[in-house]
Amino acid sequence: MEQATGKVMSAREAIEKFVHDGDEVVIGNYTVGSCAELVYEIIRQGKKGFTLYSQSGIFDVEVLVAGGCVNRLVSTYVMRSGGKKGGSAVERALNAGTLEIEDYTNFEYNARLVAGMHGFTFMPVLEGVRVTDIFRKRGFMGENKFQIISCPYTRREIVTVPAATPDVCVIHVQRADVDGNAQYWGAMGSVAAAALASKRIIVSCEEIVEHDIIQSSPHLTIIPAYRVNAVVEAPWGAHPTEVLGYYNVDTFMYNGLFSAAAATADGLAAWMDEWVYSCPDRAAYIDHYIQRFGVETLNELRARPFYSAPANYGAAFTSHWDRDGRERSMGVTLPQLEQLLKERGKVYE
Amino acid sequence: MSKPYTLDELLAIAVAREIHDYENVVLGVGVPMTAGALAKALFAPHATLMMESGIVDIRPLLSLNNIADAHSARGFSYATDLFSAFTATYRGFVDVCFLGVAQVDKFGNLNTTVIGDYEKPTMRLPGSGGAADFISYAKRTVLTMRGGTFVNKLDYFTSPGYLEGGDSRDRTGLFPQGSGPSALISTKGVFRFDPATKEMYLAEIFPAVDIESIKKDIPWELKVASDLSVTRRPSDEEIDFIRNFAPELSAGRELTGELRAARLREKAEQRDRKHVS
Repeated sequence: MEQATGKVMSAREAIEKFVHDGDEVVIGNYTVGSCAELVYEIIRQGKKGFTLYSQSGIFDVEVLVAGGCVNRLVSTYVMRSGGKKGGSAVERALNAGTLEIEDYTNFEYNARLVAGMHGFTFMPVLEGVRVTDIFRKRGFMGENKFQIISCPYTRREIVTVPAATPDVCVIHVQRADVDGNAQYWGAMGSVAAAALASKRIIVSCEEIVEHDIIQSSPHLTIIPAYRVNAVVEAPWGAHPTEVLGYYNVDTFMYNGLFSAAAATADGLAAWMDEWVYSCPDRAAYIDHYIQRFGVETLNELRARPFYSAPANYGAAFTSHWDRDGRERSMGVTLPQLEQLLKERGKVYE
Repeated sequence: MSKPYTLDELLAIAVAREIHDYENVVLGVGVPMTAGALAKALFAPHATLMMESGIVDIRPLLSLNNIADAHSARGFSYATDLFSAFTATYRGFVDVCFLGVAQVDKFGNLNTTVIGDYEKPTMRLPGSGGAADFISYAKRTVLTMRGGTFVNKLDYFTSPGYLEGGDSRDRTGLFPQGSGPSALISTKGVFRFDPATKEMYLAEIFPAVDIESIKKDIPWELKVASDLSVTRRPSDEEIDFIRNFAPELSAGRELTGELRAARLREKAEQRDRKHVS
């Protein structure tokens, strides 16, 4: 693959270069198709001291917390393996005093990123929250978790949240080009806002495609190339979660192996030893998976095609000059136009 | 007499009956998703099913894994984003939403965040997700309860029901008039809220469940409707739909877990045998 802008790199290089200890890190994906390969590489590199933003914490937040990467978590939803009986890495870290959490609602969390994405300093949120403990209980955000202002037009009180502008967003998408134009489709969630609010963006994708493909489907592009720092081609990069059009969630790995393991600290540590630390990259992870469960188990997850009806991006013509070489509205050829300009003294030697 | 059913199946069917044709419906994962699919397939074909992930007008073919699961349908009509899904709710375009319950009090206020202390939790639950915003601005909210508890005081106030009861919710001026929980459906019966006091009362009881087994779960003196009815038994059509659409709901959490673990062991063993031979 062509590497014109030098953005195409391995997950190892991308995380080394663009993720630093102490960063505010946002997981761009929302509940599906999480950026497993980028998250596992962060853990393998032992990055730490993060304030982690996650719209909906699933296995990704669990392993980052268990991997000791996270001091503070801003979220709306966290995973609890094994229901009532099971625990979670988040719960264990809260009780150990190694993690602080700030709870928002889905909308409020997203509103912070939308403000950041557009360069505003705050965003109004839905005022019903004022009667809840989400509003009353302040964690590390303190009084700046929410502030109330008066609407200059209606004089009504408006609840606001501050903008979030994380240092770096890690995100997995279906496809991108070598320059970083990233295409994502399916449940849009807060995916674009998480990326665009951030200062740096690392995109991993199922496949790198030609620029032509991007140009023919610009409505699918959620991050423009000029915002992207690194492009990582990582087939199966979201496994055990799902990527629309590529593969389904792996319930054996997720609801079976992972969830059972994550209920206890020892169980999760053993799971991470096998599936995160012992696999240097995604290819090694997939090899290990095939060796354990067979390639047919993986193949059963592959998506069958259900293509979007093509949208016609075509136009009536792509040149001002018709087949006879005449300009469409003026009716003259280029030599005739040049002759006329000369006759009227409009051109200079 | 229709075929035998499980209490989880009856719960899902009772939830489905809360959906009316032509309504805009926000679904959560699990029971509500199955209920929504059942309603759309059997009696509310024009309902618009949507989720906060921005998936709007979906006709699920099999049970969804989460609220952003587009794999369980062949496409959907409108791909908006989470921000716009909530502002549409705020503007009053959602008729009914469905929320799961961990702790609920007599006025339908909810806790889905934490049991015990917030900083040092006995049990850290998922959190609000979309719950607090949906129950604030959907025209009505149906609460579904599979494993939750009734309490006098919530450990954490995540989502507003009728606050202190009476007109206290409307009086705040923060919510659309008349919004709030319209029903709570458990695996034992259907509870509704008194129009004046907004206190929860038992309106319907599931067949073969006795009132004492409901009362023993509730720490206050539960009011019971004078015209308490017995929930209609599900039809064969309803039961068959659920078993085909969401077999893991019919199987229940415990059996699903056991069977999945056994299947996983079987796969690994098959693999090991292949390696040896």
